[in-house]
Amino acid sequence: MNKRARNRLIGVTAIVVIAVVAIVASTGSSDGAYYRPVGEVVNDASLVGERVSVGGEVVAGSWDKKSNPMRFDIREEGEDDGAVISIVYHGGVPSTFGDGVVAIIKGELTEDGYIDSEDMITKCPSKYETATGSLTVARALEQPEGSTFPVNGYVVADSIQPPGGGARFVISETEGDGPEMEVIWEGALPSGMDSGSQVVVTGSLEGGSFVASDVSLAEGEQ
Amino acid sequence: MTTLGNLFLGLAALGSLLAIVSLFWGRAMGAKDGESVTNLGYYLTFGVFGALTVSVGTLLAAFFREDFTFQYVVENHSTDVSNLSWLYKFSGVWAGREGSLLFWAWLVAMFGAYIAWKRMSETDDLSNMSLAVFNIVQLFFTVALVIPLNNPFKVSPAEWLGADGELLISAAMNPLLQHWAMILHPPTLFLGYAGMAVPFAFAMGALIVGDGSKRWVTLVDRIAVFSWLFLGIGIGLGAIWAYVVLGWGGYWAWDPVENASLLPWLTGVGLLHSFTVYRRRGGFKKWAIWMSTVSFVLVILGTFITRSGVVQSVHAFQKDNLSLWLFGAMMVLPLVGTLWGIMVRSEEFKGADEFDSLVSKESSYYFNNVLMLLAAFFVALLTMAPAFGGKTYGPATYDSIARPVGILYVFIMAVCPLLSWRKTEGPAFWNKAKWPLVSTAILSVPLLALWYMKLLPVARRTVEAGFPFLLHNFYAITGMMVGAFAVSISVYLFVEGARKRAAAKGEGFFSSLGSILTTARTQSGGYLTHLGIGIILIGLVGSAMFVDEVLTTVPDQVGSTFEVQNYVFTYQGIVENELPNGDVTSRLTFDVTKNGRPIGTVTPGQISFYRQQQTKLEASVIVEPLQDVFVVFQNFQDAAISMQVKINPLISWVWVGFVFTIVGTSLAAWPKKQTLNLLEPATSTKAKPKKR
Repeated sequence: MNKRARNRLIGVTAIVVIAVVAIVASTGSSDGAYYRPVGEVVNDASLVGERVSVGGEVVAGSWDKKSNPMRFDIREEGEDDGAVISIVYHGGVPSTFGDGVVAIIKGELTEDGYIDSEDMITKCPSKYETATGSLTVARALEQPEGSTFPVNGYVVADSIQPPGGGARFVISETEGDGPEMEVIWEGALPSGMDSGSQVVVTGSLEGGSFVASDVSLAEGEQ
Repeated sequence: MTTLGNLFLGLAALGSLLAIVSLFWGRAMGAKDGESVTNLGYYLTFGVFGALTVSVGTLLAAFFREDFTFQYVVENHSTDVSNLSWLYKFSGVWAGREGSLLFWAWLVAMFGAYIAWKRMSETDDLSNMSLAVFNIVQLFFTVALVIPLNNPFKVSPAEWLGADGELLISAAMNPLLQHWAMILHPPTLFLGYAGMAVPFAFAMGALIVGDGSKRWVTLVDRIAVFSWLFLGIGIGLGAIWAYVVLGWGGYWAWDPVENASLLPWLTGVGLLHSFTVYRRRGGFKKWAIWMSTVSFVLVILGTFITRSGVVQSVHAFQKDNLSLWLFGAMMVLPLVGTLWGIMVRSEEFKGADEFDSLVSKESSYYFNNVLMLLAAFFVALLTMAPAFGGKTYGPATYDSIARPVGILYVFIMAVCPLLSWRKTEGPAFWNKAKWPLVSTAILSVPLLALWYMKLLPVARRTVEAGFPFLLHNFYAITGMMVGAFAVSISVYLFVEGARKRAAAKGEGFFSSLGSILTTARTQSGGYLTHLGIGIILIGLVGSAMFVDEVLTTVPDQVGSTFEVQNYVFTYQGIVENELPNGDVTSRLTFDVTKNGRPIGTVTPGQISFYRQQQTKLEASVIVEPLQDVFVVFQNFQDAAISMQVKINPLISWVWVGFVFTIVGTSLAAWPKKQTLNLLEPATSTKAKPKKR
């Protein structure tokens, strides 16, 4: 091998490598973002003005696809009373966007506490429930306390209360009739749930009330 | 039935293990005494393929019988009722992580059986050791499948099923995967992934036996081209799917999953070109070994990224340390093994490399490798960064590397065939470069006009003024001209080759061209691929750098209109339709005029999937030679329709270029005996397809 040619080769290689590293370093610092849990972003004041990446479930009913930019809230994944943060999103809304979908947002945390974003990836929802296979209210009330099972029933008219005070809503065996059961639930209600809706709740009986770990609309309601 | 699947998985793992043992043991016993033991290793390799075929068949049959005792079938069966629904029973096999790993392991076994069948008559030392290494890879895959997290034969929990085996819970294939491109995309990609194990196995085999001749390369280079081709087809189909189905109007977002498929493709380019130098010049020997290993490792990294969710969610892997170790070992061991092997076999693999000048074919092949490794390294680094507590990076960072490196790369790719081995003499080079340069200048006129009239106005609105704006347009212009240069050189090489051959043989020009295409396939296939890449680069400049996006709302009244650039859309109404499976499709109709002249209608829509509780946007696209108008119906609320329109310039060029690269690479991969005329004499400086 020609020595001079080899030195030149090494020289050019070094220049190319350095150039690429420099480009990545300069762009990456403005475009990159650390992945942070919602709770941390909400509470850490030092992140204001920084680019962050956050993932969480889209809070049911918090969004309006029509608005531009679109505003919505996300909640810490898998935690029904987890921290919530607002997102202002500029850009096309992905196909899969909807209530309960896990959205991964990247953007700048503003002083007003929301994230200004132009970058969103959605993961597919994994929450499906069906009335088939779940218990009726009458059967549910016969179950021992503490065991976990799904129950389906109809929301009793005007029984839905805001969270934070005992029973969130009451369900009955059939629409407007039959045995009733109080449901304790602090999370968000599925969008579209109303008096008379058929719902599937999963949880267990405690002191005569049903403490739910999940509430969703029955299939026929969607 | 799930037991049957698992039983044959176990048998496959056992088979691979025994094959490894017998191949090494046979070698230790010596060529003569160990012959029957070695042969056993070959038979066991066929057995592994057979066992995995039964496993895959069991899963496939479960999809056709809708056997919901398979948890995997519950989670991935399609609810589609269109005339493609029977195909989704096949695609169910690779719709989820467990099934796709099984399918992949089966493809690896298929390649194993193919090598065993091809080399059965020889059972030479190189083939035996390569097959042993291949079975080690196979063993890893099969063992990974037995881990509960990856096992496709898990039994459904009892409460999921009713008395008659009917499904009580709502779960099904993700409806986004119900698309023709998703039937084809995973198998093509996996075929490419699986094939990449072959060059790796033979590289290791060559190191073990210390055979630095080009024998191992000639045995695997067609398989390498074939695998690279299928990787490319897979990536292309994925891009088409993203464009048509995901409804965001683009085809590449530097998403971790996309990057995963790109990585081995990039180093694959380096691998194929190192093989060329190895075969023809006896050079780049260590490069060829390294590129084989790195490409294989990147395939494993790709699976790891795609199938573990390690990047999107940092916590995904905590629950499965075993898989983490297994995949980690599969990445680290090949690298360590290669490093060690190359040190031990340094003498045997000393290449006949001659770098006499920076302007030579050798150095263009060298920079080809360097740039591809560099690109793969940075893409992998940025993709994996969040998994190690680093930042997640957006398209801007990736683009900042891809643009300069890509343009420089295509330039080197284009100019390489004009360079001579060792050293390029100025006059000879200019003589060859003359016509391509003229042609580039001619092609640049319409391209620059297009940039000035169509693209620049978009950039003025979308790109930050000052240096970023200048750089953006500098890349755009250089990119287009380099693309035109690549196209020109490839066309010149064909024309010049055919002209010379026609003159020498007294044939017609076109019959000469035909002969070049059919006989010197590696070379002409390569040039067609270069041509395609040139077209793709021009398409990328338009469709990735100058997209015009408009979000707007229209009153929900027939006759209401909205405008985008010189297009006017007039709303004509909506049709809603409920399918037998409960899915609801809605389709809006808009009449479209361009510059006041009617050019047809668009019908963007949505499907709401009943069982999966999900909606899918169905974009409607007006395809024109110079741009796509991509129309998406976002939502329908109160008295307004929310619409998104994207104007994607030159996107069709990407698809056209893609077709050229596929045709070119297929030509190069076509399995037939190598024609001698490709093995040019060492002193030749001719780069065009040679006649014979």
